[in-house]
Amino acid sequence: MSLDLSGRQYAHVDYDEKERLFDEVKGDLRYDEYLYGCYECGICVAACPSARFYDFSPRKIAQTMAREDVDLFYTLLNDSVWDCSQCFSCDVCPRKNSPGGLITLMREVAVKNGLASAQEALEGYGRVVYKIMATGTQVSPDMLQANAFPDWGPHVKDIAKNLEYWRKALPPESMNTTETSWQVDDKTIIELYLIWHMTGVMDMIKEVDEGLFMILQDVMEEKLEDAGYDVSFD
Amino acid sequence: MSEQPVLVIGGGPAGIEAARGIADVGYNAILVEKRNVLGGTPELANYAALTPDFRDAGEAMAEMAATVTNNPNVDLRLGSTVTATTGSSGNFEVTIKNSKGSEKVSVGSVVIATGFQHFDPGRETQQYGYYEYDDVITLVDLEKMLKAKKVVKPSNGEPPKRLCFIQCVGSRDRQIGNEYCSKVCCGVAAKESIEVRQLVPDCKVFIFYIDMRMYGYWENEIYWPSQEKYKVNYIKGIATEIIKKGDRLLVRGEDTTMGRPMEVPMDIVVLSVGMEPSAGTREMAAIFEVKLNKYNFIETTGGALNTVGTSVEGVFACGATTGPADLEDSISSASAAAMKAITVVRKSAMAG
Repeated sequence: MSLDLSGRQYAHVDYDEKERLFDEVKGDLRYDEYLYGCYECGICVAACPSARFYDFSPRKIAQTMAREDVDLFYTLLNDSVWDCSQCFSCDVCPRKNSPGGLITLMREVAVKNGLASAQEALEGYGRVVYKIMATGTQVSPDMLQANAFPDWGPHVKDIAKNLEYWRKALPPESMNTTETSWQVDDKTIIELYLIWHMTGVMDMIKEVDEGLFMILQDVMEEKLEDAGYDVSFD
Repeated sequence: MSEQPVLVIGGGPAGIEAARGIADVGYNAILVEKRNVLGGTPELANYAALTPDFRDAGEAMAEMAATVTNNPNVDLRLGSTVTATTGSSGNFEVTIKNSKGSEKVSVGSVVIATGFQHFDPGRETQQYGYYEYDDVITLVDLEKMLKAKKVVKPSNGEPPKRLCFIQCVGSRDRQIGNEYCSKVCCGVAAKESIEVRQLVPDCKVFIFYIDMRMYGYWENEIYWPSQEKYKVNYIKGIATEIIKKGDRLLVRGEDTTMGRPMEVPMDIVVLSVGMEPSAGTREMAAIFEVKLNKYNFIETTGGALNTVGTSVEGVFACGATTGPADLEDSISSASAAAMKAITVVRKSAMAG
């Protein structure tokens, strides 16, 4: 992520607003299972892969929530929570806290409330989110484009040329597709769309990426209507 | 030769328990207490609830006192002190003095249970302004407020919005000379923090510590509940000074685990004062010529396997007379001392 010096991080936010977000995290049903009290012992940091590479500390997350430090919570909500890979190695906690779980809750609150930091952090994932929400599979052969993932190397260009042939070389029929990882049947897709809708995922997408939301809305509405569901995303 | 009585000095929990134990097995105890009431420091210092079980301290001490009051095997001497002794194990002659005069009695063995006193935070370094600021108090002062069910700022009588404990005041400190851990202050602070949160629910409570020593079941009995249920903030870092700011106190220190300095306003600062040997402990050590340790507690000489024997044969010490001890430790060592004291009188009776 590039260094953002736009001043956003330093914009004044009222304490009441920070507290509202804090209370939203604390109010989640899962909260009491994710945080008991923090020894501040650091076992979670020692177990955390992200802590090796970033200025990131799951201890600080648990500690901040346990101490009810609303200001620091707000800082972490806009920054550290996106450094976590959600691997839950931190669940080794002797008090049975789950700093990773707390981060899940914090991310959800950040997204639901459309925080600019959340939008920025998730920007690069639009393509993947679109793919998985629209098709039910995450990575598809047609994502193999030279400009898409530079870290896949220069040979991607050659592979991308004859995707259909490459895919036909795969024995299972369900894999002979280029737009998805495998063929997803309509029943599955309809159920997925309903899940995205009913669990509030669409609402979260709307907060974090309006454009993506509109594209998904188009794709989903048509299929759902054909299947006989009357779903309005408004 | 018939069995001599055992002299028990000190009518606090340890002394009462030792005398009761001696009486229960059919031996005689002379229980000497300087004050006119039994119950020792818990009674004297107005303890509200005991650590860790929150039992009413007054009720518990009354229950203990009843076991040695009007007990045919306990010769209870209130308002009395031991002023001199001669003889040796199995055959001491001690002088007991009260307002009416002095009396010499023969005893076979002695249990010293004269206990501790709370560290005076105004002594030595004066680090936290105990005698300077009304709102800087001790665990003992707070205990008194808790007993009255009214926790307020001493300076203006208003309920506190922010209250903190500072641990290890007068303990673990080379500057002061008390290098030992006083064992109970962590538990007592955690207990009191819960009581403050119960009495003043909108008061934020902090505990500044070096390390919390919540051994055994204190962990889940008081430490975890205070943090998890009562949301007491434990911050590793000891305040370096307290300064006055307006009508509040400013506590300066380091929030070590967060890696940042801190300056936080407080309405009440509670100093978690530790234990020092009581005047009575030092006096009895001199009279019975038992060795004191470096910190002026009576030294036990039997190592880990004999926690009550002293440098003088036939003289035993128990409870906080030998070093910091909680109530559980005191009661246990009192029983051990009673057992050994009885052994002495029994053996000398058999020999005689």
